[in-house]
Amino acid sequence: MSQYRSKKETTTGGRPQFGGKRSFQKKKVCRFCADKNMKADYKDFRILKQFTSERGKITPRRITGNCAKHQRDVAIAIKRARILAFLPFTTAVL
Amino acid sequence: MNNNYEVVFIARPDAGDDIIKGIIQKAKDTAESLNSQVVKVEEWGKRKMAYPIRKYPDGYYVLLNISANPAACKEVERILRLNEDVIRNQTVKKIEVTSDKKTKKDKEVKESKEINP
Repeated sequence: MSQYRSKKETTTGGRPQFGGKRSFQKKKVCRFCADKNMKADYKDFRILKQFTSERGKITPRRITGNCAKHQRDVAIAIKRARILAFLPFTTAVL
Repeated sequence: MNNNYEVVFIARPDAGDDIIKGIIQKAKDTAESLNSQVVKVEEWGKRKMAYPIRKYPDGYYVLLNISANPAACKEVERILRLNEDVIRNQTVKKIEVTSDKKTKKDKEVKESKEINP
């Protein structure tokens, strides 16, 4: 019994479990939901470029803050734009 | 039933104006022979590509909006693929957004309004 109690104390004590920088981060809003006129279109590569990394990769949802539906649309649009050479598949990093 | 398709093709950058006009005309003719129409032609002109295709650093972009049956669309695609001056082509089917479709949120809002007059 005493052993159990001591174990519990070690898990609850010390560092806070939900602490750190992450809990203070502002909640991101999906930009496509906020602006209804904005659409992920493969022809509009200027918008799509904002959702790719320097290397040409699609940025994940946890960073862009897109909702699941719009992230899907963005991913499809980026892949289409890549076929038409609007966006690169990869780029060399210097 | 005709569907709406968006066909984008990239022509060789050193192709002349008449060659590009010829490709567009050919696409139009094939669509019309299979009772479909080319609704809109948009030439975006020469622009730099993100990566070289067939060693060309830039290409001449043309967008065709066609209202066609699936067979006609396939035929247009085939013709573009066989053409040597076309270095890339892509067809996307446009899906019309139905405005009657209500999301869960809309319904909830409506219901709550009905309850509270």
